Amino acid sequence: MKVSHIIAIVLVAVCIAIIYSTLTQAGTYDVFRTAAANPDKEYHIIGKYNREKEVIYDPVKDPDMTVFYLTDTAGTEMKVVLHEEKPADFERSERVVVIGKSSKGEFHAKKILMKCPSKYNTSKAGSEQSYLESN
Amino acid sequence: MNEIPYIGERTWAGEAGHLLVIIAFVFALLSAYSYFKASSTAGLTGNWKLLGRISFYIHGLGLFAAIGLIFYMLVSKYYEYQYVWQHSNSEMPMKFIFACFWEGQEGSFLLWAFWHVVLGLVLLFTAKSWESPVMATFTLVQAFLCSMVIGGYFIGYKWGTSPFLLVREMPENLGMPWTSMPDYLELPLFKDGRGLNPLLQNYWMTIHPPTLFLGFALTLVPFCYAIAGLWKKQFTEWIRPALSWTFTGVAVLGIGILMGGAWAYEALSFGGFWAWDPVENASLVPWIILVAGGHVMILSKNKNRASSFAFILILSAFILVLYSTFLTRSGILGDSSVHSFTDLGMYWQLVIFLLTFLSIGVVLLIMNSKALKADPKGDSPLSREFWMFIAALVLTLSAFHISFTTSFPVFNKFFGTSWATPEVKDYNIWQGFFAIALCMLIGIGQFFKYKQTDPILFRKKILRSITASLLIGVFLSFLFGWIGFQVTLLWSFLLITGIFAVLANADHFLATLKGKFDHAGPSIAHIGFGLVLVGALISTGKSKVISQSNRGTFDFLGPEFSDGENVLLTRDDTVRMGEYFVAYRGKELQGNHVAFNVDYFRFDSLKGTIQKEFSLSPFIQLNERMGNSAEPDTRHYFHKDIYTHIRYAELTSLTDTTSPGNYGPPSDNTAKAGDTIQGFHFYMVLEKFISTPDTAKFKLGKAEIAVGAQIKVVDFFKRDTIIMPVYYIEGDKAGVIEAEVGYLGLKVAMWKIDPETGLVNISFVRKKRAKDDFVVMKAVEFPAINLLWTGCLVMFFGTLLAVRKRIKNQKKEENGKGGVP
Repeated sequence: MKVSHIIAIVLVAVCIAIIYSTLTQAGTYDVFRTAAANPDKEYHIIGKYNREKEVIYDPVKDPDMTVFYLTDTAGTEMKVVLHEEKPADFERSERVVVIGKSSKGEFHAKKILMKCPSKYNTSKAGSEQSYLESN
Repeated sequence: MNEIPYIGERTWAGEAGHLLVIIAFVFALLSAYSYFKASSTAGLTGNWKLLGRISFYIHGLGLFAAIGLIFYMLVSKYYEYQYVWQHSNSEMPMKFIFACFWEGQEGSFLLWAFWHVVLGLVLLFTAKSWESPVMATFTLVQAFLCSMVIGGYFIGYKWGTSPFLLVREMPENLGMPWTSMPDYLELPLFKDGRGLNPLLQNYWMTIHPPTLFLGFALTLVPFCYAIAGLWKKQFTEWIRPALSWTFTGVAVLGIGILMGGAWAYEALSFGGFWAWDPVENASLVPWIILVAGGHVMILSKNKNRASSFAFILILSAFILVLYSTFLTRSGILGDSSVHSFTDLGMYWQLVIFLLTFLSIGVVLLIMNSKALKADPKGDSPLSREFWMFIAALVLTLSAFHISFTTSFPVFNKFFGTSWATPEVKDYNIWQGFFAIALCMLIGIGQFFKYKQTDPILFRKKILRSITASLLIGVFLSFLFGWIGFQVTLLWSFLLITGIFAVLANADHFLATLKGKFDHAGPSIAHIGFGLVLVGALISTGKSKVISQSNRGTFDFLGPEFSDGENVLLTRDDTVRMGEYFVAYRGKELQGNHVAFNVDYFRFDSLKGTIQKEFSLSPFIQLNERMGNSAEPDTRHYFHKDIYTHIRYAELTSLTDTTSPGNYGPPSDNTAKAGDTIQGFHFYMVLEKFISTPDTAKFKLGKAEIAVGAQIKVVDFFKRDTIIMPVYYIEGDKAGVIEAEVGYLGLKVAMWKIDPETGLVNISFVRKKRAKDDFVVMKAVEFPAINLLWTGCLVMFFGTLLAVRKRIKNQKKEENGKGGVP
């Protein structure tokens, strides 16, 4: 066996390892129901927060906790405990993605991503085509 | 249908702009066709070449004029135009007009095309015999870019988005009631523009995009040479003229990417300089591939053998720039990135752009596959070629991993999967392994000779770098472990190899090259790369959130959830963070910024007191329409940075609402001389009683008895003040004279004396603070981040030094004096 063959084999092996490990480690976008069924696994949940219910952020009590209610793409509403401050312009957000796990009937999020119509997309709110709608 | 006679529209600008873009597009096409003919037909090639040149000049003039016109419209506030209305406003200072120009997609396409014209002009004078085949591809790319800003309908499809549209012509505004008003420009809506996104009103926005786009533009030149090499079957000759372009691209694109990192660190709320964001990755991947391609080109040139790998990498670098354009501008990234552009409906146009050049490259490679066979002999593992090749493979794998992971939204779209965008830690592990391999290769590479190396000499030379980096790396690992960081094996190993990359190249530069700069470009660039890596490793890997607290109740969720990174600071309270005591001193409104003044104090063990170290003023920029945005403030030291960011603040009351007479509930205490009374963040020592206070000063007049209490008030910062409340009896009534400490908002009174026990009653009140005068803040300590920035500059200058040497050699060879390979 020549050196070049060994290199080729190593190369292919590393590529497969990259694909395998990346895909097995990758989180998935999912709904509250799945997250509730697997309390130890982390999920990315897409949804809209309920504007009717109060968003609670009391920094005097805990500057790292915001509580609100989120309706996921399947229509399930759940109480979300975000372990961060209340994001700026939270009220303006159209859709949010929360990353975290389920525990005792609540969803604990360590991170939140927001899609605001105004921040980067100034003129055509709502026209952006993303994988979310295509799912 | 009658034309509505609109009042006040300066339609000439739009018409001229459209015309200029069309001229630029048509002449780019004509130039591409002429250059194509010039390089494929025999005979009249000179005429075709001349036509190609003239067309390119006209194309360039048209494009420059169009860009100039947009600037004119921005400066003269032509708010009837969408691009001006959307990106600027009357408050916009001149220094941000450039940022307004390239904030939008259309402007950034024009910026990209602008750099291409500049580079094209250089090529016209330097490419010589390569001009026609190189410029054929080059101008075709320009035609595609111009088509992105034409904005017309052709065969039923919309092509590009024009920056010269009137607001009323925008598709989403068609049919709006105001569009039928002749004097719609009198509406308040159009009196002013919408302005620039507050996040982008920053000097980084003025320098980062043009540098990055120059870097992108520079990948096109080697791409065109590679296509020309395949097309004209000059499989090795293309490399010599293209090599200096490739490494100029490496230098400029590299510095452009890191400028983005510096921007994110200084002005955005990323909390670091690199977040593996899809948009960041999209520009990093072409750079990695360009670096790999440049090195394989050197191999191919030195061996004087055609290399399919060099072709693949150099073609990929530009294709990946197109792919990055597709990712960031098609809207496909959607929620996975914080800063992708708006979808302007150019999805398919971008796909066609990408696929056209991808297929040109692939077809040419397949057609020439026979001539591009690998060297059957292979390289000796004792040659520099072998290890450079391995390094290029490692770079390619690293780029593969990043782009595979970044492409999840694309896979989701095409295969209906729902993989979520990975987090930072998911990237770090793989990239950590690649970085270890690269650093080792960078370290040993220079000590190998081309073709064959003497293993004994090699071992002798490399040994001292290995020993030194092991010693330093292990020492630092223990040091960081000792100050309380968690040190992983991967991190330590990465640190050792990073130091090795720096030391081995420094050794090569000093010992082998005797410190001569002329040949030292590669060594210096490699030192820079090593420094960037070590700097990133220490500053990010060992950064410390000093505002961190453990919120015990959530421990069951794991540290990512239970560790609070925010701290609440009420005005004038002091909180301990790391080695500092931090106090929030109030907010001020400065224009559209609300600055929050935060003082950092530190215990000085020599003086035994708490000393103020520095003050920071992170601020929140107010913006009604786009939302407020917070900008951090950072204290830079030689060895570390203290980064301070406002995460949350009530902005309802921007002025101090403390009303003068508003005091909290009194606190009553009984004390005797020598006692200490504890308050919140201060204490009082009742030093002694003075039975004969200055009656004139206290205006006591005829008081029979008067006693003053000498009290020392010491606050948190060890400031002390002596005060003297007085108690007196005049006739049959007792009186009290209060004493105040202004900076504490403190009032103290003594109101009862028991002569038998010597006990007195001392009560004090403190001013109430505005309830909402607090900030929620995050503070991070980044050690050794200057190492990273130094590394960037060293890498940039090293690469340019190498380019200078290449150009010198190229000139020598062309002048027939015989060159050094």
